[in-house]
Amino acid sequence: MRQQAAVFPVGLYGMLLFALCWLTLPNVFAPLERLLLGAVCLVPRAASEWSGQPAFAAEADARERTELRTALATRLRGEDIGGGRALLASDLEPVYCAVREVLGDGSRRGGAGQPAELLLEATHAELDDCAAFVTKGDALLGFLVPAGIGVAADDGPGQPARVVLLHHRAAPPVYAAMPLDDGAHLRLVVRGAATVDPAPLRVDLWDDPYRAARLDRGGHVVRTLALDDGAAAVPPGLQLGRTRIWGYDGDDGQAALAIGVFVVPPYEPRALSHVVVWRDRRRATAVPAAAPADAPQRRFAVVRDLPGAVHGRHLLIAAGEIAAGAAVVQQGMLLGTARDLAFGLGLVTSFGASRHRWSLLLLPDDPEAPPRELDGRVVRAAGHEAWVACHTAADANARLPAGQLFTGSNGPGCPAGLWIGSAEPVADDRTLLLVRTRPLPSPRAVEVWTRPEPSGGR
Amino acid sequence: MRWLWWFVLAPQTFLLAGFWRDAGLPPLDVAVLFCVFLALFADRAALPWLLLGAALGRALVDEASLPVQILVLGVPVAVLLPLRSLFFGQRWLWQAVAAAACAVAVPRLAGLCGRLFDQPSASAQLDGMAVLWAALLLPPLLVVLRRLPPFRAFEERT
Repeated sequence: MRQQAAVFPVGLYGMLLFALCWLTLPNVFAPLERLLLGAVCLVPRAASEWSGQPAFAAEADARERTELRTALATRLRGEDIGGGRALLASDLEPVYCAVREVLGDGSRRGGAGQPAELLLEATHAELDDCAAFVTKGDALLGFLVPAGIGVAADDGPGQPARVVLLHHRAAPPVYAAMPLDDGAHLRLVVRGAATVDPAPLRVDLWDDPYRAARLDRGGHVVRTLALDDGAAAVPPGLQLGRTRIWGYDGDDGQAALAIGVFVVPPYEPRALSHVVVWRDRRRATAVPAAAPADAPQRRFAVVRDLPGAVHGRHLLIAAGEIAAGAAVVQQGMLLGTARDLAFGLGLVTSFGASRHRWSLLLLPDDPEAPPRELDGRVVRAAGHEAWVACHTAADANARLPAGQLFTGSNGPGCPAGLWIGSAEPVADDRTLLLVRTRPLPSPRAVEVWTRPEPSGGR
Repeated sequence: MRWLWWFVLAPQTFLLAGFWRDAGLPPLDVAVLFCVFLALFADRAALPWLLLGAALGRALVDEASLPVQILVLGVPVAVLLPLRSLFFGQRWLWQAVAAAACAVAVPRLAGLCGRLFDQPSASAQLDGMAVLWAALLLPPLLVVLRRLPPFRAFEERT
């Protein structure tokens, strides 16, 4: 028997199999994990009693962060609304909405495998009298889905409004035009591409397929043409993106042959933090206030350093439950995101120690430069410096500017606009930002942003 | 009683490594230390629960969830365990080789699990110096730890 156990350790293999089941059904085993890790954290919790009283951020620092947040909000709002305002009828008024969550799992993935559905902070009821189209700057993003219909079939009026981006399979095709080098225009229909395609949108139909097949370069700006198909009226002139040509080069004097034309939108779906919907002033109805139970709540807590905390792990001591992924903030500065454990404890992973994707906002130091929405991931960290690899759809060849880095929309517990640190571009890599966070003494008095699950279902 | 000590003390070893690192000593991956102990010295019948204790400790210092930690630590142990009977004679050399192999395997597995289960973590980066230090430091360190609780209580008697 002993010989057999030596050859085939059943218990060990059983534990590995159990771990795989755990990963397959994480929600089933989440309470067990919270309990086990919470129990283990009781030892450092007891030891931390000797580590002094929580410190608050200096008033001057807090004031400076408030000013930065205000500057970000003002410039971002101006940029997001201004582009569309110039193209739309004057009787439309903008409703500026924060993105609550970008959904990109399973059927919510659209063209090129990109996330294609947004949940907004505003509810269906609040946006009930708004036009269906959604913009950002001069770009058309997608369409609002009314509660009870299509992908929002299970939503109630009090739940977060839902937007399908243009590359979602449920989004209607859009009638558009692109200017050619000789001044002529090609008219076309743009719809979401397949998940395996190289860009989120593809051109489906042309008014002149022969000319389209002769396109020898991409980069043409595609803009909407007016069309009211009954389901979604789209104003003319809104940008859909720039073309990308797939086809054969024109070698040996032969003309180029395009076999597929794709459209790359001027935004990165994962990085969207705010969108603009438009309400007709003449048809506007009273807007109900957001359900108070759904508003973000700040819960006071204390963060204490674990040994080796310079590498980014901290113990969170809070009264009550903490949402997974909730932002831990000290007077406007993001310390990291929390993981809820039993016994009123949590673990905080600092921004520098995290390796998951972040939706980020970069406020350039140049006051004339527009804020940038970035999809970033920390690739390396040392002390209070982190190197963040960033992806932004807007002018991918341009170098990122120096400025202040904030959170974008990272889920219900981590809203946009929390200051992370100062950022500067890395000389030899145009996609890399060096972010410097501010060291603070431990323990710290913090706020944990929590939000109850949305109510108001049918 | 020995189990109580294991679940109280073993996970805290990962935090003690933070003091080690803060003191400027050479980088030491405690996950590798546990892998080598479990694979070469631990009581086979107790392995699943010993592994759980070690995984709980790693979950304290790493962003990935507990089942990922079980896989990251458990797979190298499962691979090395059948080789235990071969490790006669050149014990120091075998231990150094096993430590180096685990020091490579643990970050690689952390990276693989991070990609598969969408739980990336900072521990997925392979550090050549950490491999070297693991091979040099872990065998003598294990000699000490195997004489101390809670490791002593779970050593396999031959």
